[in-house]
Parts: sequence; structure tokens; C-alpha cells
Amino acid sequence: MDEPIAEREITPAVSENSKHAYWMKEALKMAETALEHGETPVGCILVYEDKIVGRGMNDTNRSMNGTRHAEFLAIAEMLLSYPKSALNSTDLYVTVEPCIMCASALRQYRIRSVYFGCANDRFGGTGGVLNIHSDHSIDPPYPVYGGLFQKEAIMLLRRFYIQENDKAPKPRPKRNRELNTAFDSVPEIGTAINEGDELPSS
Amino acid sequence: MNVEEIVKAIEPLKGEVVPVRTIQETRPPEDFADAIVAEVNVKAASKVIKVLDAAFPRDASMGHLRRFAKRTMLPDHLLQEIEADTSAPANNGQTIFVVIPPPLPDVESLQELLAPFAPVPRRRSSATPPANPPLRSPEPQPPQIRILKTQVPIYPPFTAAQGEKWTKTMWPVVFNPAAPRSTVAPPPQVLTRVQESIRPRSGFYLALARKVAEESKQTGRGRGVGAVIVDPSIEDRLENQAWRDDTDSTDRWMDAVVSVGGDVRYARSEAGASSQTDLHSGVAPNPASTIYDPDLEGGPDLHALMRAAELVARRRREEGDHLSQYDDSILPVIATDPQLSTKLSPLESHFLYEVCGQSANPEPENSVATPLSPKKRKHEEANPEIAMASLDVNLEATDSVDPLTTLPAPPPPTAAIAIPESTPVIGYVCSPPDFWGCSSPPETSRIRTRSQGGYLCTGLDIYLSHEPCLCCSMGMLLSRFRAVIFPRAGRMQGGGIASEPVVHPTPGDWNSDSVAEDEQDDEIEGREYYGLHWRKELNWRALGFEFVETDGAGEDWEVDVAEEGDGEDLAFHA
Repeated sequence: MDEPIAEREITPAVSENSKHAYWMKEALKMAETALEHGETPVGCILVYEDKIVGRGMNDTNRSMNGTRHAEFLAIAEMLLSYPKSALNSTDLYVTVEPCIMCASALRQYRIRSVYFGCANDRFGGTGGVLNIHSDHSIDPPYPVYGGLFQKEAIMLLRRFYIQENDKAPKPRPKRNRELNTAFDSVPEIGTAINEGDELPSS
Repeated sequence: MNVEEIVKAIEPLKGEVVPVRTIQETRPPEDFADAIVAEVNVKAASKVIKVLDAAFPRDASMGHLRRFAKRTMLPDHLLQEIEADTSAPANNGQTIFVVIPPPLPDVESLQELLAPFAPVPRRRSSATPPANPPLRSPEPQPPQIRILKTQVPIYPPFTAAQGEKWTKTMWPVVFNPAAPRSTVAPPPQVLTRVQESIRPRSGFYLALARKVAEESKQTGRGRGVGAVIVDPSIEDRLENQAWRDDTDSTDRWMDAVVSVGGDVRYARSEAGASSQTDLHSGVAPNPASTIYDPDLEGGPDLHALMRAAELVARRRREEGDHLSQYDDSILPVIATDPQLSTKLSPLESHFLYEVCGQSANPEPENSVATPLSPKKRKHEEANPEIAMASLDVNLEATDSVDPLTTLPAPPPPTAAIAIPESTPVIGYVCSPPDFWGCSSPPETSRIRTRSQGGYLCTGLDIYLSHEPCLCCSMGMLLSRFRAVIFPRAGRMQGGGIASEPVVHPTPGDWNSDSVAEDEQDDEIEGREYYGLHWRKELNWRALGFEFVETDGAGEDWEVDVAEEGDGEDLAFHA
């Protein structure tokens, strides 16, 4: 698949009883939609002045373009109605930690802050592999808050990866796979779970 | 001059192609861990090894640590500690020190384990008995093993100098020049082959990238940044053709270009307002390019690399009925063409559509079936780092109703790279007229369709006028390019590929221990070095090359096309 994600549970930075929870649930709905349409289940929304102004989901299979991640689609939708400068006052809620590409794009677009679900140990750009949000750059840094509804985000990914990937040129048989519904107790930041989950990568 | 004439008139950049070293090559990872050092009887050394290996299975990645050190080889801090320690019983000097790397056992069980191999106490001369021998318990005390703590490097040394430094300050290590490379850099033979394959025509493709850049700038659509995507398998065929015809294999360099993309960061409308391009129609370059105002910079999805890759995707989406299985109402925004992939410049349009089926097609369509042109490309050499599109094209697949079920497999990331020396290769396959499923005249594309094994930009090379920004560099990896090439003069402060400052006249100088030097230069240049093309942490890797122009020829161009403003370098994302 286009975005092999090694998801990881982390200590949540914000409470599941906060207003952030409401927005993250909206992002999860987009990830559900992605799953229904054969895309890697990553979803996101952009919130500006307490309104959803953009929605995105992974679109790499439909578009046949490996760079069409959820964040780009949400930003494109927002820019239909708002100027780029509004992103300065906009927050992103995304079910999986932004990859390095998206982490850099969000900085160039000057997002105000990023809330994500599970961490991405393979491609994550906001702590997973690199720290693109805070590294030295010509654009100002942005804060990230991870861990909100990460179990839900991880389950979506597991449901996806257990499928036979009939969009990949050579589907890999996965008949013997069973959906892993178990979670370890939430570990401290920096510990990985789920390492045995071999993800399709093409 | 029409586009074809412009392309024919292109003069190649002159210079040489040099690999961009990986981050791990330029910044050998340094990480240290606590280790235990124990003093044992030198005569029991081999027994000590057996006992230790049985009790604490050895971590093979610690092979660079010497197992034993004589007292004279110990680092100073351990020697001083030993000399300062008067409590330990003196021994006969027939001892050796063994290191126990992490994971560390607890000291008590280690004492117990090593007790049988304790140093032999020094025989005291009767002339100097202890003044007041302490009363001893009837049972003899178990011999105490001297236990010391030190730090050890958990990675092997990258340079002889680093090895010496660690030996002096931590614990003796072995420097093996061949050892570190395999885990931190692409296999040298793969690097050399790809370098050789891109060398003959890279000057042309980079010159074309600059033409595309100039077009973006002169139309006010974007900054002067351009990208050119090349299919190396077509290049292989050009080489073979030229060899057969006894012609210059660079003559038809343009035939291997599958897509070009220009920067269009000023051309997208936001909130229904006029774009910067429309606001300053007829003014070139766009006034927004004289400054870095993030609000006017569009976004990285409008950068040259992202657009070139999107044009490949767009061309492929037009194949068959791929899109009919999707409902655009789920994500209405995709219908708005956010990357402006339908608004093609003359050069973009020329390479995506117009040239197809003409000069690019020197071989008859059926030649792929002749014995001279084997259908299958052999995977000659295992390379876990780079995969290349399999060209095991099933020609019969073109008759299939459902191309998805007959797709050949692109190799997993562990598959082989295939760069045959002499095998003629099917670069693209001309399709029968009914292939596109429409009545319009068939267009043969240089872009392999899905049914021909085309998948993202797998196996393709991308040439850029500038170092791509960090976002585009990761987009390059996600698109599965084989290699990325840009002129050194086009390095950018926000770039994602360069791995070190330009200080070494000969990149690849392995024995210079220049880490400290590099760190200083970082501060001077004020940029991060990501070397994103090849990072061992990421599960897709590409090869990166810089084109070093002779006589600093690129500097003039740089000022002319890329750097507006007042002659100072203007930082922006390319």
C-alpha cells in the first residue's frame, strides 16, 4: 500500500472529554470513509473559528498519486473558500501522525496546531521519525498534540491491513490473518507496540 | 520557436554527477551505553568467554568492541580508577580485563559467575608482613572480582580516528572500513551503476529542467523551478539502439522524458479570488517572487516535483475506466484540480501528450515479441534498498477486460534492482488501437500504464533545477522514484536532500573525521541537512545525486532565474 504505517500508542496529550474529542471523531469519520473506499484509513479535518472548513482522507489509490494524503485534500478544500492566510488560525485533527511530507507541508502552510491520533513510527514527521514541526526552518514551528482516540485510529488501520489489497498490483493472500483487537496498556511515549504487524508496502 | 525546436536547441549542462552521501555517512551515529569491565585471570580468558556467552547471550551488533584489554590498553579513566582503588587485593599482574556490553547483568551474579577466574593474589614476601593482620573468619572469603564501569559505543566506528578516540576514552574498539557501509548507505555497486546510467544524459535533463523553470517564471505562474521525469528503461533502450546504429546515444535524450512539471505556486485561486498570476497578468516574473511572503507562496503541492509526479498520475488515471469506479461526491475537492494538472504549460503539454508516438518510437511495435528483445528483464542482483518497476509486462494483458487482475507485480522493497548491461529493455509498449477503450486516435504514452506494470513513479528518475524542499523530498520517496538529481548550484536552505555543507572537494572521503567541522558549518549556512533520499529509518529509499557544474557555471544561472530580490539569496521552498 502507499502508506505503510507503523502505528503506535502514546500517552494522550489532550483529554477525550474535551472539545478536541468532538473534532477528532469527525476526522475518524473521514478515515472510515477512506476504508470504505479502499484507501488507507487516515482522515482529517481542518477547524477554523469553530467550524470544519476542510475534510480530507487518503486518496492515493484513486488518484494513482502516492502524495495525495488526507492533509493535502483538506487544505485544498479549505482554500476554495478561505485564503491561505486563514491557515494561521486553523487547527488540524488527523487520525494518524502526519508523515514527513505532510508535516513539512503543514509548516509551509503555517497551520496553527496539529492534533493527531496514533503515532507513525515509519514515516511520522512530528516525532515519529523526524521533528519537522520544530526543526530549524524558514517557517515558524507549530505545536503537536498526539494520542487522542488513538485506539480507534489503530483499529481502522488494522482493519485495512488485514484485507487483501486488491488495489496493489499483486495482492498478498491474507486468509489466515485475524484481526488483532487487543491493546496493551497505554505505554509511555517512546515505546512501540504492534511491531509484528507486517504491512503491505506496495 | 516552437517547443520542439526549443527542446532540440537545448545545450547540456557541463559537469559531473556526484552521489549525495547519506546522513549516516556524514554524521556517523554516535550512541553510547554503560558497560561493565571485569578483571580476570589471564590464563582463564577462554573459559571466561565460554561462561559469559552461556550466561549472557552475546549481542552480535557489539562486534566492534574488543572482548579483552590488557591493563596497558585500558583507557585512562579506568587506569586511574584502578590505581586509586586500594581496597582490592593486589594480584600477581597476570590479569586481563573483559568487557560485558549491555544488556547488563547484575553485579552480584556476575561476581559469582567469574569467581572461579579471579586473579591470583600476589604472593607477599615474608619480609613485609602486614602490620596487624586482621582476624579472619574461618571460612575463606570468596575471591573478589574487580568490577569497573565504562561507556561503550553501540555503533561501530566510521573512521579510524573515531575508533582511536573511543579506544582512548572508553574501551578498545576495532575499526573495519567495510563494516559500517552496508547499514548506512546504498550498496556501492548499485550506486555506481545508476551513476553511470544517468551520467551521459543528465546534463540535458537538467538543462531541460531549467527551461521548464524559466517557463514557470516567465509566465508568472510560479518561481523558476522545474522538474523532469525520465524513464531509465527507455534510456537503456536508447543506448542499445545507438549501439546497434553506431550513433551517439545522447542524440535522442528527449525520448526518455515521460513528464515535465513547472512550479505554479502563484497560479491557484484561493477563496474564489484572482490568483497572483491573474493579478499580475503579463508581468513576469511574478512580483510575489521578489519576497518570501508565505501567504503568497501557494503550497508544496504546487511545486515542480509534486506537479511532475501528479502529471504522471493524471496520465495514468485517464487510462481505461479507472476513475469510473470512484464516486467524486465523497471528496468534491478532487474535481477542482488542486494541483492544476489540467493547466499545462507548452513544455508540460509537449512531453505529456504531443511527443507520444512520434520520435519516441523508433522500434516497431511488435519488436518486443522478437527473440532479440526478451520480454523479461532479469533481476540480476539482490538489492534490499531499491526496487525498480518490474518490466515483466504481459503483452496479452492489453486484451484483458479487467486490467487490475492482470497487473504484474511491482517488486516489494526487497526486490532486485535491474540495470542490465546489454539486455534490450522494453521501455514502453505501444498499445493496440482499442486499448484506451475509446474511439479517439490512440495515444501511445511513454508513461507505463498500470496494466503495463506502471505504479506511481517506481523506477523513474527525477531531475530538478533546484534541491527539492523537504515536503517534496518526502513526496519523491512516496512516489517511489529510483533517483533524484539536481545541480549543486540549486541547493536550497529549505531543501530535503543535501546531507552536508559543500566543504569537501571530494565527496566520499571516508577517512576524514570532519564531524566537528560540519557542525560549525551548519551554523554558518543556517539550514538542516536531512539527506532524505536515503535514510535507514524509512522503508523506501532512493539514490541522490548532485550535478557539479564545471567552472561554477551554475552560479550565473542561479542569480538569473532563481534568486530575485536584491542579489542576496532569497530563501524559499523549491
